[in-house]
Amino acid sequence: MIKLRYKLSLFNILSKLIFGVLFLILMPMILERVNTIQTDNQLIEKREQVIDIISQWGVERFTDSGYENAFGSYNILKEEYISLEKVELEHNWNFIEVTRRMIDNQIIDYRVLNYSFYVDGQMYLLEIGKSLASIQQTEKNIQKFTLVFLAVFLVFSTIFDIVFATKLIHPLEKIIKKLKNTPTPSLYGKATPNTTTSEFVYLDKTLEELMQKIEDLFQKERQITSNISHELLTPVSIARGILENLLSSGELNEEAAIKTEESLRTLYRLKTMVNSLLLIARVESHQYLRNESFSMVELINEVKSELDIIAEDKDIALDTDLKEEKWVKNANRSLLFNMFYNIVNNAIKFTPQKGKIFLTSGTINTQFFISIRDTGIGMSPEILENLFMRFKNRSAHPENGTGIGLAISKTIADFHSIEIHVESEPGKGTEFIFKFPS
Amino acid sequence: MNVLIVEDEVKMAEEMAAFLTREHFLCEIATIGVEASEKIAVNLYDFVLLDLGLPDYNGLDLLKEGKMLDTPPAFIIITARGAVEEKVKGLNIGADDYLAKPFSLVELNARIQAVARRKFKIESSDIQIGEFLVKTDNRIVKHKEKTVELTRKEFDLLLYLLLNKEKTLTRVQLYEHIWGNLFDDQYDSNFIDVHIKNLRKKLSPHAPVDWIKTTRGVGYKISEEE
Repeated sequence: MIKLRYKLSLFNILSKLIFGVLFLILMPMILERVNTIQTDNQLIEKREQVIDIISQWGVERFTDSGYENAFGSYNILKEEYISLEKVELEHNWNFIEVTRRMIDNQIIDYRVLNYSFYVDGQMYLLEIGKSLASIQQTEKNIQKFTLVFLAVFLVFSTIFDIVFATKLIHPLEKIIKKLKNTPTPSLYGKATPNTTTSEFVYLDKTLEELMQKIEDLFQKERQITSNISHELLTPVSIARGILENLLSSGELNEEAAIKTEESLRTLYRLKTMVNSLLLIARVESHQYLRNESFSMVELINEVKSELDIIAEDKDIALDTDLKEEKWVKNANRSLLFNMFYNIVNNAIKFTPQKGKIFLTSGTINTQFFISIRDTGIGMSPEILENLFMRFKNRSAHPENGTGIGLAISKTIADFHSIEIHVESEPGKGTEFIFKFPS
Repeated sequence: MNVLIVEDEVKMAEEMAAFLTREHFLCEIATIGVEASEKIAVNLYDFVLLDLGLPDYNGLDLLKEGKMLDTPPAFIIITARGAVEEKVKGLNIGADDYLAKPFSLVELNARIQAVARRKFKIESSDIQIGEFLVKTDNRIVKHKEKTVELTRKEFDLLLYLLLNKEKTLTRVQLYEHIWGNLFDDQYDSNFIDVHIKNLRKKLSPHAPVDWIKTTRGVGYKISEEE
């Protein structure tokens, strides 16, 4: 995955590069053409100057000073030359060509202007040449300069692009951060990010509306659970009051007292069932806040100290290795405490006497985890498959609770985005691994 | 002490009243909000046990009314709705305690006693049991001059049984009192047995503890009767 701002910048760089390469390919051709035109113009201009001089001073000035019938001159580096000689031609010459000339035993390519004219009935041929090497030198200089300019432009415009893209995308990153820091929909920040980009304002508004909708649904569910709770628990409460009064009146004989206690325990089971289901509904509809920060090691140690006595009674060693610490944020301590308490308590229940239970903390792939491993009776793959389903495990161990504890634990883990992995082998033991979001 | 029970379920109110009367409270019942409002305004109560789910009245309004009196009664809120927000709201307005239905009547009594001690500044006295002295203020148990080391839960268990002396408490009642902060699903009758066993083990080297009695099939009680 690539960040949007890098994508934008990358696209800009690419389009500039394509443009630049195209320019580099075409540049020599253009330059050559421009240079040729310019050189030709210069040659024509020089011709006019020479003609001017001849018409003013006469052709003798040239012919007298040089050899017989001819005149020649070139500058010191042989970049340019000029020659005038008497000729006999059928037609008048007036053209520019590239030819090779031998000057002082040196062969040099020239662009040469040939021009013939008559003075006093005598035909003269004027040649003005400019060395191609000097022309190409100019071309090279211009090319070098353009290349440097292009490179500097590319670097600066890329930096500018990245800075601009970062600034452009900034509100989006702010919205993402806001979303990430929202523990429950109702707490989604009302502050719109400071931006002139209408799409971002729209996105923020849409998210806000979505949060409101979710919150409304939660509100409805809260009302429903509250009503169910009232309707189911009120009769239980009355029956319990009646039975407790009966028991504490002291008027019951032993058998009646035992039966009454049994009824009370059954009522307690009913209450547990209702409350457990309500708890799951309440966690799922975000009636619990996730606004606490605390040490995970401390919490696990607390669970251990709560259950040490129970484990000790069964001669089970409850060992901890909590070197890896984690400071949990945006969490509900009492829910997490209950989750781990439930798992460790289960481990004690299903581990025979003289067994062992290990509570470990650590990190896998930068993810913090808590592991609860026991040397207990383990679980078959069939039980493992439906482990977190409500009521599914009831038949397996009817003497040990309602079997809804694991469903509650799963709900609490989901609420905190904690992954639960379970590995188990019948007769060997079970390991619960809780992977925390990084 | 005078107690007003505000509860729309008549049968529930009667059971509460029956239990508290046996504990020597003077009880009155109001089953609708208007009646309760009138009674709170006219009579002087030490305690109001307030069910928030009244058909004709917002229970929290009754609490507000009561709190405006010159000598406001202590309020214990009772609700079967169990919503966390409701509890927080009630305690914020000035309720002294909170109980979720279905609660144990023994627990209700204990809560009233605790609020009373806090509110009326009754100094909790030390309790003599067998050869032991239970100091409720600093939560220690002494045998002669020697302190017996108990865990917090063992002490809570001992104290709860002592406060309900001569009465058998069921394992559920004891469990709810001591592990009430945990979710219900964690109930394990074994927890109470283990703690009672440890309690006996820690006390018995100093002096006999035959006053901790097991009521077969029902629960435990502290009794000095033979």
